[in-house]
Amino acid sequence: MRASDAALIQKIVQRDESALAALYDRYASLLSSLLNRILRDTQASEEILQDVFYQLWRNAAQFDPARGSLPGWLAVIARNRAISRLRRHNPSEGEELLETTVIVPANLENALAQQQLLGRVKGALENLSSEQRAAIELAYFEGLTHSEIASKTGDPLGTVKTRIRSAVESLKRNLLS
Amino acid sequence: MSGHPTRPEDFDLYALGVLEGEEKAAIESHVPTCAECANKLAEARGRIALLAFSAPRVEPPAAVRERLMRQVHASAESAGARRSTDEPQRAGGFFGRRWAAILVPVGVALAIATIFLWTENARLSRELARQRANLEEQKKQLDEARHLADLLEAKDTVSVALAVQPGMPKGDLRVRYNAKMGMAVCDGWVEPAPANKSYQLWVVPMEGKPVSAGVIDHGGPIHPWMMKLPQGMAAKAFAVTLEPVGGMPQPTGPMVLVGPVS
Repeated sequence: MRASDAALIQKIVQRDESALAALYDRYASLLSSLLNRILRDTQASEEILQDVFYQLWRNAAQFDPARGSLPGWLAVIARNRAISRLRRHNPSEGEELLETTVIVPANLENALAQQQLLGRVKGALENLSSEQRAAIELAYFEGLTHSEIASKTGDPLGTVKTRIRSAVESLKRNLLS
Repeated sequence: MSGHPTRPEDFDLYALGVLEGEEKAAIESHVPTCAECANKLAEARGRIALLAFSAPRVEPPAAVRERLMRQVHASAESAGARRSTDEPQRAGGFFGRRWAAILVPVGVALAIATIFLWTENARLSRELARQRANLEEQKKQLDEARHLADLLEAKDTVSVALAVQPGMPKGDLRVRYNAKMGMAVCDGWVEPAPANKSYQLWVVPMEGKPVSAGVIDHGGPIHPWMMKLPQGMAAKAFAVTLEPVGGMPQPTGPMVLVGPVS
Protein backbone atom coordinates (compact mmCIF):
# COMPACT_ATOMS: atom_id res chain seq x y z
CA MET A 1 0.00 0.00 0.00
CA ARG A 2 1.18 3.47 -0.88
CA ALA A 3 2.32 5.47 2.18
CA SER A 4 0.84 8.91 2.76
CA ASP A 5 2.98 12.05 2.80
CA ALA A 6 2.43 12.32 6.56
CA ALA A 7 3.67 8.76 7.12
CA LEU A 8 6.74 9.36 4.96
CA ILE A 9 7.52 12.60 6.81
CA GLN A 10 7.33 10.67 10.09
CA LYS A 11 9.82 8.13 8.70
CA ILE A 12 12.17 10.91 7.57
CA VAL A 13 12.11 12.28 11.12
CA GLN A 14 13.30 8.80 12.16
CA ARG A 15 16.11 9.15 9.55
CA ASP A 16 14.67 6.73 6.97
CA GLU A 17 16.41 7.60 3.70
CA SER A 18 14.01 5.50 1.59
CA ALA A 19 11.11 7.71 2.76
CA LEU A 20 12.86 10.78 1.36
CA ALA A 21 13.49 8.92 -1.90
CA ALA A 22 9.76 8.07 -2.08
CA LEU A 23 8.76 11.71 -1.61
CA TYR A 24 11.36 12.76 -4.18
CA ASP A 25 9.86 10.33 -6.70
CA ARG A 26 6.41 11.74 -5.95
CA TYR A 27 7.15 15.46 -6.33
CA ALA A 28 10.52 16.00 -8.08
CA SER A 29 8.93 16.21 -11.51
CA LEU A 30 6.51 18.97 -10.41
CA LEU A 31 9.32 20.99 -8.81
CA SER A 32 11.73 20.42 -11.69
CA SER A 33 9.14 21.75 -14.15
CA LEU A 34 8.50 24.81 -11.98
CA LEU A 35 12.20 25.55 -11.46
CA ASN A 36 13.09 25.19 -15.13
CA ARG A 37 10.19 27.47 -16.10
CA ILE A 38 11.36 30.17 -13.67
CA LEU A 39 15.12 29.93 -14.14
CA ARG A 40 15.44 28.61 -17.70
CA ASP A 41 18.76 27.21 -16.48
CA THR A 42 19.06 23.44 -16.10
CA GLN A 43 22.05 23.47 -13.76
CA ALA A 44 20.59 26.08 -11.38
CA SER A 45 17.25 24.23 -11.40
CA GLU A 46 18.93 20.94 -10.46
CA GLU A 47 20.87 22.61 -7.64
CA ILE A 48 17.73 24.09 -6.12
CA LEU A 49 15.77 20.86 -6.58
CA GLN A 50 18.41 18.94 -4.63
CA ASP A 51 18.62 21.69 -2.04
CA VAL A 52 14.86 21.79 -1.39
CA PHE A 53 14.71 18.03 -0.74
CA TYR A 54 17.84 18.19 1.41
CA GLN A 55 16.14 20.90 3.46
CA LEU A 56 13.15 18.57 3.85
CA TRP A 57 15.53 15.87 5.11
CA ARG A 58 17.09 18.19 7.68
CA ASN A 59 13.93 19.95 8.85
CA ALA A 60 11.21 17.33 8.46
CA ALA A 61 10.48 17.45 12.21
CA GLN A 62 9.42 21.07 11.85
CA PHE A 63 6.93 20.31 9.10
CA ASP A 64 3.49 19.46 10.49
CA PRO A 65 1.40 17.66 7.81
CA ALA A 66 -1.74 18.44 9.82
CA ARG A 67 -1.16 22.14 9.20
CA GLY A 68 -0.48 22.09 5.52
CA SER A 69 0.21 20.30 2.28
CA LEU A 70 3.69 18.99 1.57
CA PRO A 71 3.64 19.50 -2.23
CA GLY A 72 2.24 23.00 -1.71
CA TRP A 73 5.01 23.77 0.78
CA LEU A 74 7.68 22.32 -1.52
CA ALA A 75 6.34 24.37 -4.46
CA VAL A 76 6.37 27.56 -2.37
CA ILE A 77 9.92 26.94 -1.14
CA ALA A 78 11.18 26.03 -4.63
CA ARG A 79 9.57 29.10 -6.19
CA ASN A 80 10.95 31.40 -3.45
CA ARG A 81 14.45 30.02 -3.94
CA ALA A 82 14.30 30.30 -7.72
CA ILE A 83 12.96 33.87 -7.65
CA SER A 84 15.62 34.75 -5.07
CA ARG A 85 18.26 33.30 -7.37
CA LEU A 86 16.93 35.45 -10.22
CA ARG A 87 17.08 38.49 -7.94
CA ARG A 88 20.31 37.57 -6.18
CA HIS A 89 18.70 37.55 -2.74
CA ASN A 90 19.13 34.79 -0.16
CA PRO A 91 16.15 34.10 2.10
CA SER A 92 17.02 32.40 5.38
CA GLU A 93 15.82 28.86 5.97
CA GLY A 94 14.16 29.87 9.25
CA GLU A 95 12.17 32.54 7.44
CA GLU A 96 10.92 29.93 4.97
CA LEU A 97 9.96 27.35 7.57
CA LEU A 98 8.04 29.78 9.72
CA GLU A 99 6.22 31.60 7.00
CA THR A 100 5.06 28.95 4.66
CA THR A 101 2.14 27.01 5.97
CA VAL A 102 0.39 26.09 2.74
CA ILE A 103 -3.10 24.63 2.46
CA VAL A 104 -3.78 23.19 -0.99
CA PRO A 105 -7.44 22.64 -1.94
CA ALA A 106 -6.73 19.13 -3.26
CA ASN A 107 -4.90 15.95 -2.35
CA LEU A 108 -1.87 15.62 -4.63
CA GLU A 109 -0.39 12.42 -3.27
CA ASN A 110 -0.93 10.33 -6.38
CA ALA A 111 -0.18 10.82 -10.06
CA LEU A 112 -3.86 10.64 -11.06
CA ALA A 113 -4.80 13.46 -8.66
CA GLN A 114 -1.90 15.52 -10.01
CA GLN A 115 -3.05 14.87 -13.57
CA GLN A 116 -6.63 15.92 -12.76
CA LEU A 117 -5.41 19.06 -11.06
CA LEU A 118 -3.21 19.89 -14.02
CA GLY A 119 -6.37 19.89 -16.18
CA ARG A 120 -8.17 22.19 -13.75
CA VAL A 121 -5.28 24.65 -13.53
CA LYS A 122 -4.92 24.76 -17.32
CA GLY A 123 -8.68 25.28 -17.69
CA ALA A 124 -8.64 28.09 -15.11
CA LEU A 125 -5.77 29.82 -16.94
CA GLU A 126 -7.48 29.42 -20.31
CA ASN A 127 -10.50 31.27 -18.89
CA LEU A 128 -8.34 34.38 -18.42
CA SER A 129 -7.83 36.98 -21.13
CA SER A 130 -4.37 36.86 -22.74
CA GLU A 131 -3.38 40.03 -20.90
CA GLN A 132 -4.52 38.67 -17.55
CA ARG A 133 -2.65 35.41 -18.18
CA ALA A 134 0.52 37.25 -19.17
CA ALA A 135 0.35 39.39 -16.02
CA ILE A 136 -0.15 36.33 -13.77
CA GLU A 137 2.79 34.60 -15.44
CA LEU A 138 5.05 37.62 -15.00
CA ALA A 139 4.12 37.66 -11.31
CA TYR A 140 4.33 33.94 -10.62
CA PHE A 141 7.21 32.84 -12.83
CA GLU A 142 9.31 36.01 -12.86
CA GLY A 143 8.48 37.26 -9.38
CA LEU A 144 7.51 40.76 -10.54
CA THR A 145 5.44 43.15 -8.43
CA HIS A 146 2.56 45.33 -9.67
CA SER A 147 4.80 48.28 -10.51
CA GLU A 148 7.49 46.10 -12.11
CA ILE A 149 4.86 44.51 -14.36
CA ALA A 150 3.51 47.97 -15.27
CA SER A 151 7.00 49.13 -16.11
CA LYS A 152 7.77 45.99 -18.16
CA THR A 153 4.54 46.02 -20.16
CA GLY A 154 4.15 49.80 -20.43
CA ASP A 155 0.60 49.53 -19.05
CA PRO A 156 -0.63 51.99 -16.41
CA LEU A 157 -0.20 50.75 -12.83
CA GLY A 158 -3.96 50.98 -12.15
CA THR A 159 -4.70 48.78 -15.15
CA VAL A 160 -2.16 46.19 -14.05
CA LYS A 161 -3.60 46.10 -10.52
CA THR A 162 -7.18 45.70 -11.78
CA ARG A 163 -6.12 43.10 -14.32
CA ILE A 164 -4.30 40.96 -11.75
CA ARG A 165 -7.02 41.30 -9.12
CA SER A 166 -9.72 40.17 -11.54
CA ALA A 167 -7.47 37.35 -12.79
CA VAL A 168 -6.91 36.16 -9.22
CA GLU A 169 -10.68 36.30 -8.52
CA SER A 170 -11.32 34.24 -11.64
CA LEU A 171 -8.61 31.68 -10.78
CA LYS A 172 -9.98 31.35 -7.27
CA ARG A 173 -13.51 30.72 -8.57
CA ASN A 174 -12.40 28.19 -11.15
CA LEU A 175 -9.91 26.33 -8.99
CA LEU A 176 -12.38 25.92 -6.14
CA SER A 177 -15.39 25.02 -8.30
CA MET B 1 -1.33 46.45 14.67
CA SER B 2 -3.39 46.98 11.53
CA GLY B 3 -6.89 45.53 10.83
CA HIS B 4 -7.97 42.60 8.67
CA PRO B 5 -7.36 43.10 4.95
CA THR B 6 -10.61 44.41 3.48
CA ARG B 7 -10.66 42.31 0.33
CA PRO B 8 -10.25 38.51 0.39
CA GLU B 9 -8.08 38.56 -2.76
CA ASP B 10 -5.42 40.55 -0.89
CA PHE B 11 -4.10 37.26 0.51
CA ASP B 12 -3.80 35.76 -2.98
CA LEU B 13 -2.10 38.92 -4.24
CA TYR B 14 0.36 38.74 -1.33
CA ALA B 15 1.02 35.04 -2.01
CA LEU B 16 1.54 35.85 -5.68
CA GLY B 17 4.16 38.42 -4.63
CA VAL B 18 2.73 41.41 -6.49
CA LEU B 19 1.96 43.62 -3.48
CA GLU B 20 4.48 46.24 -2.45
CA GLY B 21 4.75 49.24 -0.19
CA GLU B 22 1.90 49.92 2.21
CA GLU B 23 -0.30 47.07 0.93
CA LYS B 24 2.41 44.49 1.52
CA ALA B 25 3.42 45.90 4.91
CA ALA B 26 -0.23 45.90 6.08
CA ILE B 27 -0.49 42.12 5.54
CA GLU B 28 2.95 41.41 7.00
CA SER B 29 2.22 43.32 10.18
CA HIS B 30 -1.29 41.91 10.64
CA VAL B 31 -1.01 38.20 9.80
CA PRO B 32 1.38 37.22 12.65
CA THR B 33 -1.18 38.59 15.12
CA CYS B 34 -4.33 36.98 13.67
CA ALA B 35 -4.88 33.22 13.39
CA GLU B 36 -7.89 33.65 11.09
CA CYS B 37 -5.91 35.69 8.57
CA ALA B 38 -2.88 33.39 8.89
CA ASN B 39 -5.17 30.55 7.83
CA LYS B 40 -6.57 32.57 4.92
CA LEU B 41 -3.01 33.32 3.80
CA ALA B 42 -2.10 29.61 4.00
CA GLU B 43 -5.11 28.81 1.77
CA ALA B 44 -4.14 31.57 -0.66
CA ARG B 45 -0.57 30.20 -0.80
CA GLY B 46 -2.03 26.81 -1.64
CA ARG B 47 -4.15 28.19 -4.49
CA ILE B 48 -1.25 30.18 -5.92
CA ALA B 49 1.09 27.18 -5.55
CA LEU B 50 -1.18 25.29 -7.96
CA LEU B 51 0.11 27.54 -10.75
CA ALA B 52 3.26 25.40 -10.60
CA PHE B 53 1.23 22.79 -12.50
CA SER B 54 1.03 25.08 -15.52
CA ALA B 55 4.80 24.88 -16.11
CA PRO B 56 5.83 22.70 -19.07
CA ARG B 57 6.86 19.29 -17.77
CA VAL B 58 10.62 18.79 -17.30
CA GLU B 59 11.73 15.50 -15.76
CA PRO B 60 14.83 15.86 -13.59
CA PRO B 61 17.80 13.69 -14.58
CA ALA B 62 18.46 10.60 -12.44
CA ALA B 63 21.79 12.15 -11.39
CA VAL B 64 20.01 14.69 -9.17
CA ARG B 65 18.33 11.92 -7.19
CA GLU B 66 21.65 10.11 -6.85
CA ARG B 67 23.44 13.24 -5.63
CA LEU B 68 20.66 13.97 -3.14
CA MET B 69 20.74 10.45 -1.70
CA ARG B 70 24.56 10.55 -1.44
CA GLN B 71 24.32 13.88 0.39
CA VAL B 72 21.64 12.52 2.74
CA HIS B 73 23.59 9.33 3.40
CA ALA B 74 26.78 11.28 4.14
CA SER B 75 24.97 13.59 6.56
CA ALA B 76 23.35 10.60 8.32
CA GLU B 77 26.75 8.90 8.68
CA SER B 78 28.47 12.00 10.07
CA ALA B 79 25.58 12.50 12.55
CA GLY B 80 26.01 8.86 13.62
CA ALA B 81 29.75 9.38 14.07
CA ARG B 82 29.10 12.48 16.21
CA ARG B 83 26.66 10.52 18.37
CA SER B 84 29.14 7.68 18.94
CA THR B 85 31.97 10.03 19.98
CA ASP B 86 29.55 11.81 22.34
CA GLU B 87 28.51 8.59 24.14
CA PRO B 88 31.55 8.12 26.46
CA GLN B 89 31.29 11.72 27.58
CA ARG B 90 27.60 11.37 28.38
CA ALA B 91 28.34 8.26 30.43
CA GLY B 92 31.22 9.97 32.19
CA GLY B 93 30.32 9.06 35.80
CA PHE B 94 30.33 11.50 38.71
CA PHE B 95 32.31 14.32 37.02
CA GLY B 96 30.21 14.00 33.88
CA ARG B 97 27.00 14.25 35.89
CA ARG B 98 28.34 17.22 37.90
CA TRP B 99 29.27 19.10 34.72
CA ALA B 100 25.88 18.22 33.31
CA ALA B 101 24.19 19.65 36.42
CA ILE B 102 25.97 22.96 35.76
CA LEU B 103 25.90 23.02 31.97
CA VAL B 104 22.30 21.92 31.37
CA PRO B 105 20.71 24.93 33.20
CA VAL B 106 23.23 27.25 31.53
CA GLY B 107 22.35 25.74 28.15
CA VAL B 108 18.62 26.11 28.81
CA ALA B 109 19.11 29.75 29.88
CA LEU B 110 21.16 30.43 26.74
CA ALA B 111 18.51 28.78 24.57
CA ILE B 112 15.77 30.92 26.15
CA ALA B 113 17.85 34.08 25.67
CA THR B 114 18.53 33.11 22.04
CA ILE B 115 14.84 32.52 21.34
CA PHE B 116 13.97 35.85 22.95
CA LEU B 117 16.62 37.72 20.92
CA TRP B 118 15.65 35.95 17.72
CA THR B 119 11.97 36.87 18.23
CA GLU B 120 12.85 40.47 19.05
CA ASN B 121 15.11 40.65 16.01
CA ALA B 122 12.34 39.30 13.76
CA ARG B 123 9.90 41.88 15.20
CA LEU B 124 12.34 44.74 14.62
CA SER B 125 13.08 43.53 11.08
CA ARG B 126 9.36 43.52 10.28
CA GLU B 127 8.94 47.01 11.73
CA LEU B 128 11.91 48.26 9.70
CA ALA B 129 10.49 46.71 6.51
CA ARG B 130 7.14 48.40 7.23
CA GLN B 131 8.77 51.81 7.76
CA ARG B 132 10.82 51.43 4.56
CA ALA B 133 7.68 50.50 2.64
CA ASN B 134 5.89 53.57 4.04
CA LEU B 135 8.75 55.77 2.96
CA GLU B 136 8.80 54.31 -0.56
CA GLU B 137 5.04 54.77 -0.86
CA GLN B 138 5.23 58.39 0.28
CA LYS B 139 8.05 59.07 -2.19
CA LYS B 140 5.96 57.58 -4.99
CA GLN B 141 2.95 59.70 -4.03
CA LEU B 142 5.12 62.81 -3.86
CA ASP B 143 6.54 62.11 -7.36
CA GLU B 144 3.00 61.67 -8.72
CA ALA B 145 1.88 64.91 -7.07
CA ARG B 146 4.87 66.74 -8.60
CA HIS B 147 4.07 65.38 -12.06
CA LEU B 148 0.44 66.37 -11.62
CA ALA B 149 1.39 69.92 -10.55
CA ASP B 150 3.80 70.28 -13.51
CA LEU B 151 1.10 69.10 -15.91
CA LEU B 152 -1.58 71.42 -14.55
CA GLU B 153 0.72 74.46 -14.45
CA ALA B 154 2.16 74.00 -17.95
CA LYS B 155 0.85 76.62 -20.41
CA ASP B 156 0.59 74.13 -23.27
CA THR B 157 -1.66 71.69 -21.34
CA VAL B 158 -5.06 71.41 -23.04
CA SER B 159 -8.36 70.44 -21.45
CA VAL B 160 -10.48 67.83 -23.24
CA ALA B 161 -14.12 67.40 -22.13
CA LEU B 162 -15.45 63.90 -22.86
CA ALA B 163 -19.03 63.98 -24.18
CA VAL B 164 -21.53 61.26 -23.23
CA GLN B 165 -22.74 59.28 -26.23
CA PRO B 166 -26.50 58.84 -26.77
CA GLY B 167 -28.09 56.05 -24.70
CA MET B 168 -24.95 55.48 -22.65
CA PRO B 169 -24.44 55.79 -18.83
CA LYS B 170 -24.07 59.39 -17.75
CA GLY B 171 -20.77 60.89 -16.72
CA ASP B 172 -18.65 64.00 -16.67
CA LEU B 173 -15.00 63.31 -17.40
CA ARG B 174 -12.27 65.73 -18.30
CA VAL B 175 -8.73 64.99 -19.49
CA ARG B 176 -5.90 67.50 -19.13
CA TYR B 177 -3.30 66.59 -21.75
CA ASN B 178 0.19 67.82 -22.42
CA ALA B 179 1.61 66.50 -25.70
CA LYS B 180 5.17 67.71 -24.99
CA MET B 181 5.29 65.96 -21.60
CA GLY B 182 3.52 62.89 -23.01
CA MET B 183 1.23 62.90 -20.00
CA ALA B 184 -2.47 63.29 -19.26
CA VAL B 185 -4.65 63.24 -16.19
CA CYS B 186 -8.33 62.34 -16.12
CA ASP B 187 -10.89 63.14 -13.43
CA GLY B 188 -14.64 63.54 -12.96
CA TRP B 189 -17.32 60.91 -12.41
CA VAL B 190 -19.24 58.27 -14.30
CA GLU B 191 -22.36 56.23 -13.45
CA PRO B 192 -21.70 52.72 -12.07
CA ALA B 193 -20.83 50.24 -14.81
CA PRO B 194 -23.39 47.49 -15.63
CA ALA B 195 -22.82 44.06 -14.03
CA ASN B 196 -19.72 42.20 -15.30
CA LYS B 197 -18.49 45.28 -17.15
CA SER B 198 -15.71 47.80 -16.55
CA TYR B 199 -15.06 51.16 -18.12
CA GLN B 200 -11.82 51.35 -20.06
CA LEU B 201 -10.10 54.61 -20.91
CA TRP B 202 -8.34 54.87 -24.29
CA VAL B 203 -5.87 57.21 -25.90
CA VAL B 204 -6.69 57.49 -29.62
CA PRO B 205 -3.38 58.36 -31.32
CA MET B 206 -2.92 60.38 -34.50
CA GLU B 207 -1.77 57.18 -36.16
CA GLY B 208 -2.36 53.56 -35.25
CA LYS B 209 -4.69 51.72 -32.91
CA PRO B 210 -6.10 53.04 -29.60
CA VAL B 211 -3.93 52.40 -26.55
CA SER B 212 -5.43 51.43 -23.18
CA ALA B 213 -4.88 54.05 -20.49
CA GLY B 214 -6.46 52.04 -17.71
CA VAL B 215 -9.54 50.25 -16.48
CA ILE B 216 -12.06 51.98 -14.22
CA ASP B 217 -13.65 49.22 -12.16
CA HIS B 218 -17.07 50.33 -11.02
CA GLY B 219 -17.67 53.97 -11.89
CA GLY B 220 -18.41 56.72 -9.35
CA PRO B 221 -16.01 59.61 -8.75
CA ILE B 222 -12.73 59.28 -10.66
CA HIS B 223 -9.86 60.76 -8.70
CA PRO B 224 -7.03 62.27 -10.75
CA TRP B 225 -5.85 59.37 -12.92
CA MET B 226 -2.37 59.88 -14.33
CA MET B 227 -1.55 58.49 -17.76
CA LYS B 228 1.87 58.31 -19.33
CA LEU B 229 1.61 58.01 -23.09
CA PRO B 230 4.02 55.77 -25.00
CA GLN B 231 7.06 57.75 -26.18
CA GLY B 232 6.45 59.77 -29.34
CA MET B 233 2.69 59.21 -29.33
CA ALA B 234 0.45 62.23 -29.92
CA ALA B 235 -3.22 61.91 -28.91
CA LYS B 236 -6.03 62.73 -31.33
CA ALA B 237 -8.79 61.99 -28.82
CA PHE B 238 -9.60 60.31 -25.51
CA ALA B 239 -12.45 57.86 -25.16
CA VAL B 240 -14.14 55.53 -22.67
CA THR B 241 -15.74 52.23 -23.68
CA LEU B 242 -17.59 49.47 -21.80
CA GLU B 243 -15.55 46.26 -21.75
CA PRO B 244 -15.55 42.90 -19.95
CA VAL B 245 -14.23 43.13 -16.37
CA GLY B 246 -10.44 43.53 -16.40
CA GLY B 247 -10.35 45.33 -19.77
CA MET B 248 -9.38 44.31 -23.28
CA PRO B 249 -6.27 44.88 -25.43
CA GLN B 250 -8.36 46.77 -27.99
CA PRO B 251 -11.83 48.38 -27.69
CA THR B 252 -14.63 45.89 -28.29
CA GLY B 253 -17.60 47.46 -26.48
CA PRO B 254 -19.75 50.54 -27.06
CA MET B 255 -18.29 54.04 -26.79
CA VAL B 256 -19.56 55.74 -23.63
CA LEU B 257 -17.65 59.04 -23.68
CA VAL B 258 -15.37 60.64 -26.22
CA GLY B 259 -13.55 63.94 -26.58
CA PRO B 260 -11.28 65.14 -29.42
CA VAL B 261 -8.05 66.99 -28.65
CA SER B 262 -8.55 70.41 -30.17
